[in-house]
Amino acid sequence: MFTRTDDRITTSQAVVFLTNTVLGAGILTMPRSVTQTTETPDSWLTIFIGGAVILPVILLLVKLSQQFPGQTVFQYAGRIAGKLPGKAICMLLVVYFLVIAGFEIRTLAEVTLFFLLEGTPMWAIVLPFIWLGAYLVGGGINSIARVNQIVFPISMLVLFVSFGVSLRLFDINNLRPVLGEGLLPVFAGLKSSILVYTGCEVILTLVAYMEHPRQAVKAMIGGITIMLAVYLVTIIVVVGGMSVDSVITSTWPTIDLIRSFEVTGFFVERLEFPLMVIWLMQMFCNFCSFFFQSSLGVSQIFNVSYQPVIYGLLPVLFLSTMAPKSLNDLFHLGDAIGMMGIGLFLLVPVLLSLIWLVRVKGLKQHV
Amino acid sequence: MYRRCGRSLLVLAISILLVPLAGCWSSNEIEDLALSTGLAMDKGQPAPVEKELEGKGSTYAKRNRVMVTIQVAPIKSKGNQGKDQSGKQSAYMNVSGSGDSIFEIFRQFSIRLDRPVIGHHLKVVVISVDLLRKQSIEQITDFLLRDNNIRPSTLVYLSDGPARETLISKMPGEVPSFHIAGMHRNQSRTSKVLDPVTLTKLDSLTHSRKSFVLQTLVTGGGEIQLSGAGIINGSTGRFIGSLNQEDTESLNWLIGGGDAGPIKAYDRNGQPITYELLSMKSKITPRTEGEQISFKVGIETEGRLIETWDEQAHPTTNEYAEELEEQFEEKLQEKMQNLLRKLQTKYKTDVAGFGQRLAIEKPAVWRKVKDDWDRTFSRSQVTITCKVKITDFGSFTEK
Repeated sequence: MFTRTDDRITTSQAVVFLTNTVLGAGILTMPRSVTQTTETPDSWLTIFIGGAVILPVILLLVKLSQQFPGQTVFQYAGRIAGKLPGKAICMLLVVYFLVIAGFEIRTLAEVTLFFLLEGTPMWAIVLPFIWLGAYLVGGGINSIARVNQIVFPISMLVLFVSFGVSLRLFDINNLRPVLGEGLLPVFAGLKSSILVYTGCEVILTLVAYMEHPRQAVKAMIGGITIMLAVYLVTIIVVVGGMSVDSVITSTWPTIDLIRSFEVTGFFVERLEFPLMVIWLMQMFCNFCSFFFQSSLGVSQIFNVSYQPVIYGLLPVLFLSTMAPKSLNDLFHLGDAIGMMGIGLFLLVPVLLSLIWLVRVKGLKQHV
Repeated sequence: MYRRCGRSLLVLAISILLVPLAGCWSSNEIEDLALSTGLAMDKGQPAPVEKELEGKGSTYAKRNRVMVTIQVAPIKSKGNQGKDQSGKQSAYMNVSGSGDSIFEIFRQFSIRLDRPVIGHHLKVVVISVDLLRKQSIEQITDFLLRDNNIRPSTLVYLSDGPARETLISKMPGEVPSFHIAGMHRNQSRTSKVLDPVTLTKLDSLTHSRKSFVLQTLVTGGGEIQLSGAGIINGSTGRFIGSLNQEDTESLNWLIGGGDAGPIKAYDRNGQPITYELLSMKSKITPRTEGEQISFKVGIETEGRLIETWDEQAHPTTNEYAEELEEQFEEKLQEKMQNLLRKLQTKYKTDVAGFGQRLAIEKPAVWRKVKDDWDRTFSRSQVTITCKVKITDFGSFTEK
């Protein structure tokens, strides 16, 4: 069982894979980014609606992939749209994954530098992670899925213990009034709440590796439900504990919440350190997932073998990590990634599905 | 051949890994650091030591707008583990400096101390009300909120007199900032102790531009006392006046923060009778009639008769309990009216959360009045009903 090399993942592994791909650095800044746009305590409603909006997107991604069993988007895009256009679209996807991978590692480094290792050079934090990632990604999807399976319960446990202890600061009045300004602010924040789901494009390749592709819909909806639950709990606990005014002015609101109290007599007095250290593992999984997608993409688009591509992408990833010049640049990049995500969604699954529909149903072609 | 090469490469890689195992890149030995545990801010004037240093021409370009005092504890971590620590040595050291940038003043300490100061273990910040008359609270706490060492769990207090005096203790071996940081634990004994305000809470209070109170420290005879609270005006961020101990207690009951402590009244014979709070609930209900906003406050408490100096025997009956309840209700009502008079007439500020209740229950009305809320509040009508319920007479009965 532990020597599987057949590049197939079980349904539960697929759930965790999707969850760990999306849940990363976002959770540290999400309460601020969403609350800044709503400016009311209703940001949890926004997150909820964001989840509802993302659900049909997930369904579309899964249904499209299920039409080509055993094939990733990098393989079937050419079959749908023609060889060259297909390759062009896939390259965009690869670039997108590379940018997110760099973004995740950079955020990880920024948080670590600010709170944990002041004085350590950026590259000394970034390089080990990238190298370690290369080692893991070299093992294929199965190894990544297994690491995800190990990390996920640990990081969730630590996150929820931290949140649980932070309930001493929780004041329900911080979340009231509900809909005091009407529905408008809730929808104003919708954009930022959809952005926290960026990364779910991995479904386009994930389904191909599932042992039971028929269970893909169930698995992916399961993954999204877990994420929605984690995001909801996060925003309710953070806004409830700190109030809207404090969340808006905090760079890392989730960490600041945990930094706002000391638990004397607990086995650790300051929970932000365990939380940050464990969350580094979560962000590492996140990074590896995108690293894997982009390596896979390059190798399948250009028909080159997979292992050398990984090493070829290392410098690209390092550049992508070091590109933002400041923290502000990094946050702007985060927004830009969200916009790219929406653009790519229109370009890849929607366009491909339309072409596929026209060709199969309309022109009765065999794709 | 090929395999042997691979193996020696592996050995090389593993031995390289041994090097980073030995430690952390940016590690600091805790013995080589000065942990600041307390921070006091006073109005700007050169500290005594600084005056002397400046007299010798040791100065830099600055305007004296704030004087910062930090408490470093323990001053010696090594060497005084000996048992004959007869308490002659003080457990802490205070350093003061003035200027117009708190960060710069911190760095000025670094040319006076033998170890770098770090703020990871800062417990309390004490700000003198005199400073808050001149500078807004937002200005002087900005650095504290931005810094990555100082935890937002740090507690904030005001000081009636010079804030640096609150960081001085007579008791040998005691670190004053730890003493202050621990004082809020007495909330279970008296309602005169308000909920401690952390930097996170302070941030949300200043950012929301609502007026609020911070607990005030008073020093005397080498001791520190929590004595009432100071009101900070929301729109200016300046100190505008203080509430005494009793008003602070009433305020705590009104905002639902306190549920302990005594209520003392005098009975028909002029003897003190004391009631011990077991629970305290308050509910503020806003009402609007056209433009006029009014509030109904209901305060309910349960407790026991804990002490009476009346020598005349009173039977432990429900009738007697009701008689006492009435007296305590009267007292409670009087205390509440005193507080409201101060808030509405003297300071014309809402620090008791009336605005928040209005915002929660009638958001549309709140939107219209929130910009000028303090003035609107001072004109609105507040009616208070108090209900005291004596549940028992303690472990002493009379017939």
